[in-house]
Amino acid sequence: MSDAGSDPVVFFDGTSNRRHAATLAFTGALEISVDGETRAKWAYADIRRADSAPGTLRVFCQSAPPLARLEIRDAALAAELTSRAVNLDEHHLGARGVAKIVGWSLAAAASIVLVVLFGVPLAADRLAPLVPPAFERRIGDVTEQQVKVVFGDKACKSSPAGKAAFDKLVTKLRDAAGFDTSVESTVLSSDIPNALALPGGKVIVFDSLIAKANNPDEVAGVIAHELGHLKHRDNMRGLIYNGGTSFLIGLLFGDITGSSAMIFASRTLITSSYSREAETAADTFSIELMQKLGRPPKAMGELMMRITGKEGGKGLTIISTHPLTEDRLARMSKEDQTVKGPPVLTDAEWQALKGICGKGKV
Amino acid sequence: MNQFSRPPIVPPPSEPTPPMAAPPPLPAKLDFTGERNGFLELVARGAGLELVTLGFYRFWLINDIRRHLWSNTVIDGDAAEYTGRARELVIGFLIALAILMPIYLGYFLISVEAEHLQAWASIPLVASFYVFGQFAIYRARRYRLTRTVWRGVRFWMDGSGWAYALRASLWAVLAIVTLGIALPWRAAALERYKMDHSWYGDLQGRFEGRGWELFKRVWWIGVLMPFALIVFPALPFLYARYKSEEWRWWISGIRFGEVTLQSRLAPTALRGLYWSVIGWYMVLSAGFGMIAGSVGSILVKLGVPVEELFLPGAVGKAAIIVLGLTIVGYLAFMLALGVVTRLYLTRDLWERVLQTTSVTNLAAAANVTARGDLATAVGEGIADGLDVAGF
Repeated sequence: MSDAGSDPVVFFDGTSNRRHAATLAFTGALEISVDGETRAKWAYADIRRADSAPGTLRVFCQSAPPLARLEIRDAALAAELTSRAVNLDEHHLGARGVAKIVGWSLAAAASIVLVVLFGVPLAADRLAPLVPPAFERRIGDVTEQQVKVVFGDKACKSSPAGKAAFDKLVTKLRDAAGFDTSVESTVLSSDIPNALALPGGKVIVFDSLIAKANNPDEVAGVIAHELGHLKHRDNMRGLIYNGGTSFLIGLLFGDITGSSAMIFASRTLITSSYSREAETAADTFSIELMQKLGRPPKAMGELMMRITGKEGGKGLTIISTHPLTEDRLARMSKEDQTVKGPPVLTDAEWQALKGICGKGKV
Repeated sequence: MNQFSRPPIVPPPSEPTPPMAAPPPLPAKLDFTGERNGFLELVARGAGLELVTLGFYRFWLINDIRRHLWSNTVIDGDAAEYTGRARELVIGFLIALAILMPIYLGYFLISVEAEHLQAWASIPLVASFYVFGQFAIYRARRYRLTRTVWRGVRFWMDGSGWAYALRASLWAVLAIVTLGIALPWRAAALERYKMDHSWYGDLQGRFEGRGWELFKRVWWIGVLMPFALIVFPALPFLYARYKSEEWRWWISGIRFGEVTLQSRLAPTALRGLYWSVIGWYMVLSAGFGMIAGSVGSILVKLGVPVEELFLPGAVGKAAIIVLGLTIVGYLAFMLALGVVTRLYLTRDLWERVLQTTSVTNLAAAANVTARGDLATAVGEGIADGLDVAGF
């Protein structure tokens, strides 16, 4: 007798799981009786369909205990109830409900895209100057520790003359750019020809960059470029910008499987265009600073060209974080001028700077 | 079973009214009455809407999938019911956002401080996200269970999400230390915690599966795994075998009061499902690759050098259009893959597991009194936010 399917109408009262074989009477309301005794009266307007297996009409009543269920397996009775319960499917999401979800999702997506394109850069520009210098310096210290772990903690101090020459160069540029003395700089020994500006005002130059330079103006141009990043607070702006866009793009694509690839791709595209703008601005700063000192802005471009070579046609320009080297060189050459100012370093100082890491490179 | 834990389909039933000459308690039948085409239609339509809404429709889709699975799960003649609503998931997601945002910010600040003391010191902080994920898994299970109704009485859970997260994390450490040997015992201990705190009305659940039993059945899979990473076509075989052993062990350990579950799932039962998904994955990637390739060759024929597409400047607009198309194509590909995965690894797997499960002593649960409160969907939201969600 455990064949539960045999009863045409079954009632569960919502307080226990006991199965009641029931009879129905369609009067002014739906009367549910068990063993000849009326157990419930459900107003037709309050009756709603609940999910069930095929072949069973399962309903509940909005004004009855929430889990009370009536199950009808008799087709005629089910049809009778369906015709009377006018709001049977009212609580289910119809085509209009779906249209509403689609519409609002598109509106949300449009507003996120607009915020990423216009709002976040604006917020980054406005917020970066508000970050307390102490906090920025802390982030800078953290970054410096990580840089030292990656590139090795090989600050070049062995040559006092080289150090003096480097300090002289940095001081000259710093003063011309109107920074106070809180800006620090060091030379690290590394095979990668590069230079970094850290949050909180620290410039790190790798010695192989100095080794590849033909004259002090080339190094000066690079340091001026990094000072430009510091002046524009590009680190903090980048941090706020990257954090903001990552978050918003993550929000946009939500949980579609494999969306992390999408998030990564679109973020790379958007943030690298932002980064290219920042690099161009830092180049401008370098050009102006070199002009102020009466030295050739083109020198930095020539050094870059020697390091990277011509970049066009290699890789995807749209995702690179820097403008093409040849474009940068062309721009700096346009701004070039006849040398008016005194040399930034004497020949002896330049030789000392080249040997700052004590490797005796050419 | 963490990720996959779903409300047990376990319930207890009642004996119909007339107590005729009672034969010895026959195992009650579990059945799945869902139409495969109906489910396919549901998930395909859902994927289309996910594409249009950039994923926001997922709350409604997940909810509809659960409603379909639950209401077609028939235990002793009566179908279960899922009473959750997509709206609850959306609200849970928004609350989780509100909770996760300050946590992400706090995480950032703490990691700055930690890095200040020692480079890379913030890496252990990542572990705190694991703990949080385990918390979310427990709370999400609680949400799903409290929306599971059978014969007018709901399942529910007590216990603490944090207590569970602590256990899960400590066991995870032990599993790492023992190179995975402790994993079966971890599964048993966690399942015990979950089931001890699971109820059907006033009937308390428990879990009788032992770690040792699972270990006996799957240890060789762990041994073969490193080799399978080299001979990788062996991986799906091993994984499918592991999953079927795990399901069988898990179902057979579930108890509610005197009600006992037993699974006869064959060790090879899930193999075909995993291979079907892999087959479809290959077909779909080939299709996606062909479309992308033909778009590229058309561009070349039109005399647009593909490289120059990506240069900034005049052709930049064309690049953006091509890129946009690629993104849409990729999304469509991922969503199609989602449809296939849901069809085989959610619906078909569910059906196979159910049809090999029997329930004995259902009479012991013939008159269960309703108890327990509804839980919120915040856990679901956090699980969604941390990407640890199950179904």
